[in-house]
Amino acid sequence: MFSDELKALRRLGFRHVLLQVLNFVQVLASGFMMWKGLGLITNTESPIVVVLSGSMEPAFYRGDLLFLTNPADQRYATGDITVYKIPGADIPIVHRVLETHDVVAKPDDYVAASPLAQPQLLLTKGDNNPVDDLDLYQGLEWLERRHIIGKVQAFLPYVGYVTIAMNDFPQLKYALLGGLGLLALIQRE
Amino acid sequence: MAPRNRKAENGESSLSAGTSTKASETSESSTDGVLASALLPPTEGREVVKVNNASVTEMKHACDDALKRFLSRPELFNQIYTHTDVRLGLGWASVFVALGTGLYGWKVDFEKSKPAVWAGVILYVLLTTIQTLYAYFVEGDIVFVGKRKTFDKRIVTERITLTSTSTPSKPSSPPAYSLGLTYMRSTSGGKSLLGRGRAKGDRGYNTFFDEKGVMDQEAFERWVGEMVGRVMVGKNE
Repeated sequence: MFSDELKALRRLGFRHVLLQVLNFVQVLASGFMMWKGLGLITNTESPIVVVLSGSMEPAFYRGDLLFLTNPADQRYATGDITVYKIPGADIPIVHRVLETHDVVAKPDDYVAASPLAQPQLLLTKGDNNPVDDLDLYQGLEWLERRHIIGKVQAFLPYVGYVTIAMNDFPQLKYALLGGLGLLALIQRE
Repeated sequence: MAPRNRKAENGESSLSAGTSTKASETSESSTDGVLASALLPPTEGREVVKVNNASVTEMKHACDDALKRFLSRPELFNQIYTHTDVRLGLGWASVFVALGTGLYGWKVDFEKSKPAVWAGVILYVLLTTIQTLYAYFVEGDIVFVGKRKTFDKRIVTERITLTSTSTPSKPSSPPAYSLGLTYMRSTSGGKSLLGRGRAKGDRGYNTFFDEKGVMDQEAFERWVGEMVGRVMVGKNE
Protein backbone atom coordinates (compact mmCIF):
# COMPACT_ATOMS: atom_id res chain seq x y z
CA MET A 1 0.00 0.00 0.00
CA PHE A 2 2.76 2.42 0.86
CA SER A 3 5.46 0.66 -1.14
CA ASP A 4 6.26 3.75 -3.18
CA GLU A 5 6.74 5.86 -0.09
CA LEU A 6 8.75 3.16 1.67
CA LYS A 7 11.02 2.84 -1.35
CA ALA A 8 11.50 6.61 -1.39
CA LEU A 9 12.36 6.58 2.31
CA ARG A 10 14.93 3.82 1.87
CA ARG A 11 16.47 5.71 -1.03
CA LEU A 12 16.72 8.98 0.85
CA GLY A 13 18.67 7.54 3.73
CA PHE A 14 18.76 7.37 7.48
CA ARG A 15 19.23 11.08 8.16
CA HIS A 16 16.11 11.87 6.15
CA VAL A 17 14.03 9.39 8.14
CA LEU A 18 15.38 10.91 11.34
CA LEU A 19 14.35 14.37 10.10
CA GLN A 20 10.83 13.24 9.23
CA VAL A 21 10.37 11.49 12.59
CA LEU A 22 11.75 14.60 14.27
CA ASN A 23 9.10 16.73 12.56
CA PHE A 24 6.35 14.57 14.00
CA VAL A 25 7.83 14.23 17.48
CA GLN A 26 8.52 17.98 17.66
CA VAL A 27 4.85 18.73 17.00
CA LEU A 28 3.92 16.52 19.94
CA ALA A 29 6.68 17.94 22.14
CA SER A 30 5.66 21.52 21.30
CA GLY A 31 2.05 20.84 22.21
CA PHE A 32 3.11 19.21 25.45
CA MET A 33 5.48 22.06 26.35
CA MET A 34 2.78 24.64 25.63
CA TRP A 35 0.50 22.77 28.04
CA LYS A 36 3.17 22.69 30.70
CA GLY A 37 4.00 26.36 30.14
CA LEU A 38 0.33 27.28 30.46
CA GLY A 39 0.16 25.31 33.70
CA LEU A 40 3.12 27.21 35.10
CA ILE A 41 1.69 30.59 34.12
CA THR A 42 -1.74 29.85 35.59
CA ASN A 43 -0.19 28.13 38.64
CA THR A 44 -2.25 25.00 38.21
CA GLU A 45 -1.35 21.45 37.19
CA SER A 46 -4.31 21.20 34.82
CA PRO A 47 -5.19 24.55 33.24
CA ILE A 48 -7.88 23.13 30.92
CA VAL A 49 -10.41 20.52 32.07
CA VAL A 50 -13.55 18.91 30.64
CA VAL A 51 -16.85 18.72 32.54
CA LEU A 52 -17.89 15.06 32.88
CA SER A 53 -21.12 15.20 34.88
CA GLY A 54 -24.22 17.33 34.98
CA SER A 55 -23.84 18.42 38.60
CA MET A 56 -23.27 22.08 37.65
CA GLU A 57 -26.22 22.52 35.29
CA PRO A 58 -27.46 24.96 34.06
CA ALA A 59 -24.06 26.69 34.32
CA PHE A 60 -21.95 23.88 32.83
CA TYR A 61 -23.03 20.85 30.90
CA ARG A 62 -21.19 17.63 30.21
CA GLY A 63 -18.65 18.24 27.46
CA ASP A 64 -17.84 21.86 28.29
CA LEU A 65 -14.22 22.95 28.34
CA LEU A 66 -13.13 24.96 31.40
CA PHE A 67 -10.14 27.30 31.72
CA LEU A 68 -8.64 27.48 35.20
CA THR A 69 -6.23 29.67 37.14
CA ASN A 70 -5.01 29.31 40.68
CA PRO A 71 -3.77 32.70 41.91
CA ALA A 72 -1.67 32.05 44.98
CA ASP A 73 -2.24 35.50 46.44
CA GLN A 74 -6.03 35.57 46.24
CA ARG A 75 -8.53 34.07 48.62
CA TYR A 76 -11.33 31.89 47.38
CA ALA A 77 -14.72 33.46 48.05
CA THR A 78 -18.25 32.07 48.23
CA GLY A 79 -19.62 31.75 44.73
CA ASP A 80 -16.31 30.89 43.03
CA ILE A 81 -16.48 27.77 40.90
CA THR A 82 -13.54 25.56 41.78
CA VAL A 83 -12.10 22.33 40.49
CA TYR A 84 -10.71 20.17 43.26
CA LYS A 85 -9.24 16.72 43.67
CA ILE A 86 -9.37 14.70 46.89
CA PRO A 87 -6.31 12.51 47.41
CA GLY A 88 -7.58 9.00 46.89
CA ALA A 89 -10.11 9.96 44.25
CA ASP A 90 -8.84 9.94 40.66
CA ILE A 91 -11.19 12.40 39.03
CA PRO A 92 -11.36 16.14 39.73
CA ILE A 93 -14.75 17.64 40.61
CA VAL A 94 -16.15 20.99 39.47
CA HIS A 95 -18.40 22.58 42.13
CA ARG A 96 -19.17 25.98 43.61
CA VAL A 97 -17.78 27.25 46.94
CA LEU A 98 -20.56 27.43 49.53
CA GLU A 99 -18.66 28.42 52.67
CA THR A 100 -15.13 29.58 53.47
CA HIS A 101 -13.51 29.72 56.87
CA ASP A 102 -10.19 31.04 58.10
CA VAL A 103 -8.35 29.20 60.82
CA VAL A 104 -7.57 31.33 63.85
CA ALA A 105 -3.84 31.20 64.66
CA LYS A 106 -3.27 29.49 68.03
CA PRO A 107 -1.86 29.88 70.66
CA ASP A 108 -1.63 33.66 70.04
CA ASP A 109 -5.40 33.95 69.45
CA TYR A 110 -5.36 36.44 66.60
CA VAL A 111 -6.19 36.51 62.91
CA ALA A 112 -3.24 37.71 60.81
CA ALA A 113 -3.74 40.78 58.62
CA SER A 114 -2.50 39.39 55.31
CA PRO A 115 -5.23 37.50 53.46
CA LEU A 116 -3.43 34.24 52.96
CA ALA A 117 -1.45 34.15 56.16
CA GLN A 118 -3.85 31.53 57.42
CA PRO A 119 -5.05 28.47 55.51
CA GLN A 120 -8.55 28.57 54.08
CA LEU A 121 -11.12 25.86 54.64
CA LEU A 122 -13.82 25.44 52.01
CA LEU A 123 -17.12 23.67 51.59
CA THR A 124 -18.47 23.11 48.09
CA LYS A 125 -21.72 22.05 46.46
CA GLY A 126 -22.76 21.34 42.89
CA ASP A 127 -25.48 23.72 41.63
CA ASN A 128 -27.56 20.80 40.41
CA ASN A 129 -27.02 18.64 43.50
CA PRO A 130 -29.50 18.51 46.39
CA VAL A 131 -26.82 18.35 49.13
CA ASP A 132 -23.31 19.71 49.70
CA ASP A 133 -20.15 17.70 48.97
CA LEU A 134 -19.38 16.48 52.48
CA ASP A 135 -19.91 12.84 51.42
CA LEU A 136 -17.43 13.27 48.60
CA TYR A 137 -14.63 14.46 50.83
CA GLN A 138 -13.70 10.89 51.85
CA GLY A 139 -13.55 11.59 55.57
CA LEU A 140 -12.38 15.20 55.49
CA GLU A 141 -14.62 17.88 57.00
CA TRP A 142 -13.35 20.74 54.87
CA LEU A 143 -11.42 21.23 51.69
CA GLU A 144 -8.04 22.88 52.02
CA ARG A 145 -6.30 25.16 49.52
CA ARG A 146 -3.90 22.38 48.57
CA HIS A 147 -6.76 20.23 47.24
CA ILE A 148 -7.92 22.92 44.85
CA ILE A 149 -6.64 22.66 41.29
CA GLY A 150 -8.02 26.05 40.26
CA LYS A 151 -10.85 28.48 39.82
CA VAL A 152 -12.92 28.57 36.62
CA GLN A 153 -12.30 31.78 34.66
CA ALA A 154 -13.83 30.95 31.28
CA PHE A 155 -15.49 28.12 29.41
CA LEU A 156 -16.20 26.84 25.89
CA PRO A 157 -19.32 24.71 25.33
CA TYR A 158 -19.28 21.31 23.52
CA VAL A 159 -15.55 21.35 22.66
CA GLY A 160 -14.76 18.88 25.45
CA TYR A 161 -16.70 16.09 23.73
CA VAL A 162 -13.58 15.37 21.64
CA THR A 163 -11.65 14.50 24.81
CA ILE A 164 -14.59 12.48 26.18
CA ALA A 165 -14.77 10.51 22.91
CA MET A 166 -11.05 9.81 22.94
CA ASN A 167 -11.22 8.62 26.55
CA ASP A 168 -14.21 6.37 26.01
CA PHE A 169 -12.86 4.95 22.75
CA PRO A 170 -9.09 4.65 23.08
CA GLN A 171 -8.90 3.15 19.58
CA LEU A 172 -9.85 6.59 18.29
CA LYS A 173 -6.86 8.08 20.07
CA TYR A 174 -4.45 5.50 18.66
CA ALA A 175 -5.93 5.75 15.19
CA LEU A 176 -5.52 9.53 15.22
CA LEU A 177 -1.95 9.31 16.50
CA GLY A 178 -1.10 6.56 14.01
CA GLY A 179 -2.57 8.54 11.14
CA LEU A 180 -0.65 11.67 12.12
CA GLY A 181 2.56 9.69 12.43
CA LEU A 182 2.17 8.19 8.97
CA LEU A 183 1.43 11.56 7.46
CA ALA A 184 4.49 13.05 9.12
CA LEU A 185 6.77 10.35 7.74
CA ILE A 186 5.51 10.70 4.20
CA GLN A 187 4.90 14.39 3.79
CA ARG A 188 7.78 16.79 3.29
CA GLU A 189 7.77 20.45 4.18
CA MET B 1 5.96 13.78 -25.71
CA ALA B 2 5.29 17.39 -26.79
CA PRO B 3 6.30 19.10 -23.51
CA ARG B 4 9.75 17.50 -23.72
CA ASN B 5 10.69 19.41 -26.86
CA ARG B 6 11.01 22.63 -24.94
CA LYS B 7 14.00 21.57 -22.87
CA ALA B 8 17.40 23.16 -23.35
CA GLU B 9 19.59 21.82 -26.11
CA ASN B 10 22.99 22.93 -24.87
CA GLY B 11 23.68 20.02 -22.52
CA GLU B 12 26.76 18.32 -23.85
CA SER B 13 28.05 20.94 -26.25
CA SER B 14 29.08 23.48 -23.63
CA LEU B 15 30.80 20.79 -21.60
CA SER B 16 33.04 19.81 -24.49
CA ALA B 17 33.65 23.51 -25.18
CA GLY B 18 34.83 23.91 -21.59
CA THR B 19 37.29 21.05 -21.85
CA SER B 20 38.78 22.20 -25.16
CA THR B 21 39.56 25.77 -24.04
CA LYS B 22 41.53 24.47 -21.07
CA ALA B 23 43.59 22.10 -23.11
CA SER B 24 46.66 24.31 -22.75
CA GLU B 25 46.97 23.62 -19.02
CA THR B 26 48.02 20.03 -19.11
CA SER B 27 47.35 19.05 -15.52
CA GLU B 28 43.86 20.49 -15.53
CA SER B 29 42.80 18.92 -18.81
CA SER B 30 43.27 15.40 -17.47
CA THR B 31 41.12 16.14 -14.43
CA ASP B 32 38.68 17.85 -16.75
CA GLY B 33 38.35 14.67 -18.76
CA VAL B 34 37.58 12.63 -15.64
CA LEU B 35 35.33 15.42 -14.36
CA ALA B 36 33.54 15.76 -17.68
CA SER B 37 32.65 12.07 -17.70
CA ALA B 38 31.62 12.19 -14.05
CA LEU B 39 29.35 15.15 -14.72
CA LEU B 40 27.37 13.27 -17.35
CA PRO B 41 24.28 11.36 -16.22
CA PRO B 42 25.10 7.79 -15.20
CA THR B 43 24.31 5.13 -17.74
CA GLU B 44 23.09 2.33 -15.50
CA GLY B 45 19.37 1.86 -14.85
CA ARG B 46 17.55 3.95 -12.30
CA GLU B 47 14.21 4.05 -10.51
CA VAL B 48 11.38 6.00 -12.05
CA VAL B 49 10.56 9.18 -10.12
CA LYS B 50 6.94 10.13 -10.36
CA VAL B 51 5.42 13.05 -8.52
CA ASN B 52 2.27 15.11 -8.57
CA ASN B 53 3.10 17.73 -11.18
CA ALA B 54 0.52 20.15 -9.82
CA SER B 55 2.44 20.55 -6.58
CA VAL B 56 5.45 22.84 -6.87
CA THR B 57 6.71 21.63 -3.48
CA GLU B 58 6.76 18.00 -4.60
CA MET B 59 8.55 18.86 -7.82
CA LYS B 60 11.13 20.94 -5.97
CA HIS B 61 11.78 18.08 -3.55
CA ALA B 62 12.12 15.63 -6.43
CA CYS B 63 14.66 17.94 -8.11
CA ASP B 64 16.58 18.42 -4.84
CA ASP B 65 16.71 14.68 -4.23
CA ALA B 66 17.89 14.01 -7.79
CA LEU B 67 20.56 16.67 -7.30
CA LYS B 68 21.79 15.07 -4.09
CA ARG B 69 21.88 11.62 -5.66
CA PHE B 70 23.72 12.90 -8.70
CA LEU B 71 26.36 14.92 -6.88
CA SER B 72 27.14 12.57 -4.02
CA ARG B 73 28.46 9.82 -6.26
CA PRO B 74 31.97 8.71 -5.22
CA GLU B 75 33.64 10.20 -8.29
CA LEU B 76 32.11 13.58 -7.64
CA PHE B 77 31.53 15.01 -4.18
CA ASN B 78 31.16 13.79 -0.63
CA GLN B 79 28.12 15.34 0.88
CA ILE B 80 28.77 17.33 4.04
CA TYR B 81 25.89 16.95 6.46
CA THR B 82 26.72 19.75 8.90
CA HIS B 83 23.49 21.74 8.45
CA THR B 84 21.35 18.62 8.71
CA ASP B 85 23.25 17.40 11.75
CA VAL B 86 22.89 20.70 13.61
CA ARG B 87 19.15 20.70 12.95
CA LEU B 88 18.84 17.08 14.00
CA GLY B 89 20.97 17.61 17.11
CA LEU B 90 19.08 20.67 18.31
CA GLY B 91 15.72 19.13 17.47
CA TRP B 92 16.26 15.82 19.17
CA ALA B 93 17.84 17.56 22.19
CA SER B 94 14.71 19.65 22.57
CA VAL B 95 12.55 16.51 22.30
CA PHE B 96 14.54 14.81 25.05
CA VAL B 97 14.27 17.92 27.22
CA ALA B 98 10.49 17.79 26.74
CA LEU B 99 10.48 14.08 27.60
CA GLY B 100 12.56 14.63 30.73
CA THR B 101 10.37 17.50 31.87
CA GLY B 102 7.26 15.40 31.31
CA LEU B 103 8.57 12.46 33.27
CA TYR B 104 9.74 14.68 36.10
CA GLY B 105 6.41 16.51 36.28
CA TRP B 106 4.60 13.19 36.34
CA LYS B 107 6.66 11.73 39.18
CA VAL B 108 6.90 14.81 41.43
CA ASP B 109 4.08 16.89 42.98
CA PHE B 110 3.07 20.01 41.11
CA GLU B 111 4.19 22.55 43.69
CA LYS B 112 7.60 20.93 44.24
CA SER B 113 8.20 20.40 40.55
CA LYS B 114 7.62 23.99 39.52
CA PRO B 115 11.27 25.24 39.40
CA ALA B 116 12.47 22.25 37.37
CA VAL B 117 9.52 22.45 34.98
CA TRP B 118 10.22 26.16 34.47
CA ALA B 119 13.82 25.30 33.63
CA GLY B 120 12.67 22.61 31.22
CA VAL B 121 10.18 24.83 29.43
CA ILE B 122 12.68 27.68 29.07
CA LEU B 123 15.37 25.32 27.79
CA TYR B 124 12.94 23.82 25.28
CA VAL B 125 11.93 27.25 23.98
CA LEU B 126 15.61 28.23 23.69
CA LEU B 127 16.58 25.09 21.76
CA THR B 128 13.67 25.29 19.33
CA THR B 129 14.26 29.01 18.76
CA ILE B 130 17.95 28.42 18.00
CA GLN B 131 17.01 25.57 15.68
CA THR B 132 14.50 27.71 13.77
CA LEU B 133 16.87 30.65 13.50
CA TYR B 134 19.66 28.36 12.29
CA ALA B 135 17.44 26.79 9.65
CA TYR B 136 16.23 30.19 8.48
CA PHE B 137 19.41 32.26 8.53
CA VAL B 138 22.37 29.91 8.35
CA GLU B 139 20.95 27.08 6.29
CA GLY B 140 18.46 29.12 4.26
CA ASP B 141 17.92 27.65 0.78
CA ILE B 142 21.00 25.40 0.81
CA VAL B 143 20.21 21.89 -0.36
CA PHE B 144 23.65 20.40 -0.90
CA VAL B 145 27.13 21.02 0.42
CA GLY B 146 29.85 18.88 -1.07
CA LYS B 147 33.57 18.49 -0.63
CA ARG B 148 36.14 16.87 -2.81
CA LYS B 149 39.84 16.22 -2.33
CA THR B 150 42.04 15.56 -5.31
CA PHE B 151 45.72 14.86 -5.23
CA ASP B 152 47.63 16.59 -8.00
CA LYS B 153 51.18 17.61 -6.81
CA ARG B 154 49.37 18.97 -3.71
CA ILE B 155 46.10 18.24 -1.99
CA VAL B 156 43.40 20.37 -3.57
CA THR B 157 40.16 20.72 -1.62
CA GLU B 158 37.07 21.73 -3.50
CA ARG B 159 33.87 22.82 -1.86
CA ILE B 160 30.56 23.37 -3.59
CA THR B 161 27.31 24.71 -2.14
CA LEU B 162 24.02 24.53 -3.97
CA THR B 163 20.89 26.50 -3.13
CA SER B 164 17.54 26.02 -4.80
CA THR B 165 14.31 27.95 -4.79
CA SER B 166 11.04 27.63 -6.61
CA THR B 167 9.36 30.49 -8.38
CA PRO B 168 5.59 30.00 -8.62
CA SER B 169 3.81 30.10 -11.93
CA LYS B 170 2.68 33.34 -13.48
CA PRO B 171 0.28 33.80 -16.42
CA SER B 172 3.31 34.31 -18.70
CA SER B 173 5.70 31.66 -17.36
CA PRO B 174 5.50 28.18 -15.85
CA PRO B 175 6.75 27.44 -12.31
CA ALA B 176 10.54 27.38 -12.38
CA TYR B 177 13.39 25.79 -10.45
CA SER B 178 16.19 28.19 -9.71
CA LEU B 179 19.58 26.74 -8.84
CA GLY B 180 22.51 28.69 -7.42
CA LEU B 181 26.04 27.36 -7.08
CA THR B 182 29.01 28.60 -5.10
CA TYR B 183 32.33 26.92 -5.66
CA MET B 184 35.68 27.26 -3.97
CA ARG B 185 38.97 25.55 -4.58
CA SER B 186 41.77 25.78 -2.06
CA THR B 187 44.89 24.02 -0.95
CA SER B 188 47.10 23.46 2.11
CA GLY B 189 44.15 22.94 4.41
CA GLY B 190 42.03 25.78 3.12
CA LYS B 191 44.67 28.45 3.66
CA SER B 192 45.45 29.40 0.10
CA LEU B 193 42.59 30.06 -2.27
CA LEU B 194 43.04 28.73 -5.78
CA GLY B 195 39.80 29.68 -7.36
CA ARG B 196 36.22 30.64 -6.78
CA GLY B 197 33.14 30.48 -8.91
CA ARG B 198 29.46 31.31 -8.77
CA ALA B 199 26.63 30.39 -11.07
CA LYS B 200 22.88 30.69 -11.26
CA GLY B 201 20.36 29.14 -13.54
CA ASP B 202 16.68 28.54 -13.84
CA ARG B 203 14.57 26.17 -15.78
CA GLY B 204 10.83 25.74 -15.81
CA TYR B 205 9.63 22.55 -14.14
CA ASN B 206 7.96 21.66 -17.41
CA THR B 207 11.37 20.91 -18.89
CA PHE B 208 11.95 18.08 -16.42
CA PHE B 209 8.49 16.71 -15.67
CA ASP B 210 6.13 15.37 -18.31
CA GLU B 211 2.33 15.55 -18.27
CA LYS B 212 2.09 12.46 -16.02
CA GLY B 213 4.61 13.78 -13.52
CA VAL B 214 7.44 11.43 -14.44
CA MET B 215 10.79 13.12 -14.00
CA ASP B 216 13.29 13.18 -16.81
CA GLN B 217 16.29 12.60 -14.59
CA GLU B 218 18.79 12.50 -17.42
CA ALA B 219 17.87 15.97 -18.67
CA PHE B 220 17.98 17.33 -15.13
CA GLU B 221 21.35 15.77 -14.42
CA ARG B 222 22.71 17.01 -17.71
CA TRP B 223 21.69 20.55 -16.82
CA VAL B 224 23.14 20.29 -13.30
CA GLY B 225 26.30 18.68 -14.64
CA GLU B 226 26.73 21.47 -17.15
CA MET B 227 26.34 24.15 -14.48
CA VAL B 228 28.72 22.41 -12.08
CA GLY B 229 31.27 21.94 -14.85
CA ARG B 230 31.02 25.58 -15.79
CA VAL B 231 31.57 26.78 -12.27
CA MET B 232 34.46 24.37 -11.65
CA VAL B 233 36.34 24.96 -14.86
CA GLY B 234 35.33 28.56 -15.49
CA LYS B 235 37.11 31.82 -14.72
CA ASN B 236 38.42 32.54 -11.25
CA GLU B 237 36.75 35.47 -9.56
